[in-house]
Amino acid sequence: MIVTFPHMGTLSIVLKSLFSQLGCQVLVPPPMTRHTMELGTQFSPETVCLPFKMTLGNFMEALEQGADTIVTCGGCGPCRLGYYAAVQQKILAERGYRFTMIAIEPNLIHVYKQLKYFAPQKSWREIYHAFRLAGAKMNLLDDIQRELAVIRPREMKSGSAERVWRQTVTAVDLAESCQSVQAIRAELLEKLQAIELAQGVSPLRVAVVGEIYVMLEPFINQNLEQCLAGMGVETSKTMLLSDYVRGHLLRRRSYVEMFKQLSAMAAPYLGHYVGGHGLKSIAYTILKKQQDYDGIIQVYPFTCMPEVIAKNILPKVSQDVDMPVLTLAYDEQTGEAGIRTRLEAFVDLLRYRSKPAAARV
Amino acid sequence: MRIRVGVPQALMYYQYGPVLERFLTGLGAEVVLSGETSRQTLDCGSVLDEMCLPSKVCFGHVCYLQDKVDYLFLPRIISVSQGQYTCPKIIGMSDVLKHNVGKLPPLIDIHVNMRQKSWQLYQAIVSVGRLFGQGMAASLCAWVRAWQYRVRTQPQVLTLDGRPRVAVVGHPYILYDRQVSLDVLGRLDKLGIQVLTPEMVRPGEVNKAAATLEKRLFWSGGHTTAGAALALMLGNQPLNGIIFVTCFACGPDAFVGEIIRQQAQRLDIPCMQLSLDEHTAEAGVVTRLEAFTDMIKRRRRL
Repeated sequence: MIVTFPHMGTLSIVLKSLFSQLGCQVLVPPPMTRHTMELGTQFSPETVCLPFKMTLGNFMEALEQGADTIVTCGGCGPCRLGYYAAVQQKILAERGYRFTMIAIEPNLIHVYKQLKYFAPQKSWREIYHAFRLAGAKMNLLDDIQRELAVIRPREMKSGSAERVWRQTVTAVDLAESCQSVQAIRAELLEKLQAIELAQGVSPLRVAVVGEIYVMLEPFINQNLEQCLAGMGVETSKTMLLSDYVRGHLLRRRSYVEMFKQLSAMAAPYLGHYVGGHGLKSIAYTILKKQQDYDGIIQVYPFTCMPEVIAKNILPKVSQDVDMPVLTLAYDEQTGEAGIRTRLEAFVDLLRYRSKPAAARV
Repeated sequence: MRIRVGVPQALMYYQYGPVLERFLTGLGAEVVLSGETSRQTLDCGSVLDEMCLPSKVCFGHVCYLQDKVDYLFLPRIISVSQGQYTCPKIIGMSDVLKHNVGKLPPLIDIHVNMRQKSWQLYQAIVSVGRLFGQGMAASLCAWVRAWQYRVRTQPQVLTLDGRPRVAVVGHPYILYDRQVSLDVLGRLDKLGIQVLTPEMVRPGEVNKAAATLEKRLFWSGGHTTAGAALALMLGNQPLNGIIFVTCFACGPDAFVGEIIRQQAQRLDIPCMQLSLDEHTAEAGVVTRLEAFTDMIKRRRRL
């Protein structure tokens, strides 16, 4: 059994660790390229959202390299993600691939059965450790990402933050125990401290809201964070992988409480959950205004149903709370220059707004 | 004077409209319909960005009604059957309207959510009744009477009449809105085709056919469309072709279309997908329909 799974930001590092600790042979799909995108797009329904096409491309590339078991997620709607697996399986089978696809449905009995499938000989203790290590890696990666988001727009020598990030990824990927993850954490924090920062700059602060796949996958969002940092803007993603796992999978009480608060905040604009992160996009626009952010960027794959609803309500929210919102929809035809131009214009607008009224011309 | 309640002839109207109309009349309201979709409705609706055509149509209908009624009847229909949703756009529709149409009369946007508990429908009925000053019994009575009308008016299954049989499947709010579908049904009839629609398949058969899918579709619209298409394709009576009518950017339909295409290919049934939006030109659709029917007729002769 050679296990593979889709890419989404740092997800592959976490899942690779999890499955190899469970005793499976793992094949990480090749890094995403133009070719992945073309493969996925060619065999997908035309108007399906981009994550579907990209993950299909990942699977095809991985299967060609010899993987035979695909692990992906299930779901119960109303966002399309929950039905990906069923359709992708048919498409891949039609193309003649031989494989087993395991879609993890969000219910405990199902997860238990799948665990027994992947790790039949492992004790509960070993399974627990596998999950703990994967969790520790995920948390470390996300913590470093948060730190880097603050450092990037302030660094003296451009590229120093990026270098630390690359070291982080390699080191975390190689770590084999929770202790070593802790050691790496200390080492990395030291390195972050050592990065020289420009004094006296106060970058604009922008929060990124929207769909998680586009938010987390730099290949899709065209390095949004670095691009903005280059323009001297600090970005804060409203959702990282660890937030998703804690909130949606583990249902930690603090996250459930926060979701309730966010729903209450969004209620005057959107009175019901519409799947995905549509409700949160609206709520965060209001919340981030209260936290003194300068602007909001909403990102999502073209035709994403929940985010399109949010998008059509956001202009009103933006007007009411006086918060500029830029909406970016990505698909396989999104060009680099188009996105860059829009970001530049948006940053110009934010910079103009941040000046005191007297200084505005 | 009776309270005038506006009901937009869009989205769920095509499934539940007559029932809702009778229900509201039974509660003592005067129902104002927005009429059939026109070019103007579409123009009005194109304010919405990236939404599917049916939502834009709904927007247009609401614009038409906005200054003609005391209340707008726009229940938030979250789910009409257990374990399923309608679709995110239908769920969020009333909010999108609220924040995009200039001045709206008060909305009746009661939640209808039968995803977990089907009796939630009756709660919704009672709360609507209360708005009109009716008690629980009177509201439920009005609903039952309205629902019986629906049961009486189910379409009949067509028998073979020698013409080539083509199934035309899609959401009711696309198929039966003549402006949106550019009257695909009527045109096919004129081209000498016997047209079968999802409504002619009994719900039991729809569910049975849909159960053959890998995983149950969690959108009730998609479930009905896919189930009906599969039932028609796998049915005892021969089917000469299938046309899947969808609107650009319909989320669930991206998958439903793929399911139908795969099944049609397996059974060697000619299959065409018509994707419509407000820019669709009549001539283009006519040409494609003619080409499709020509091909089917020729295949029958072979």
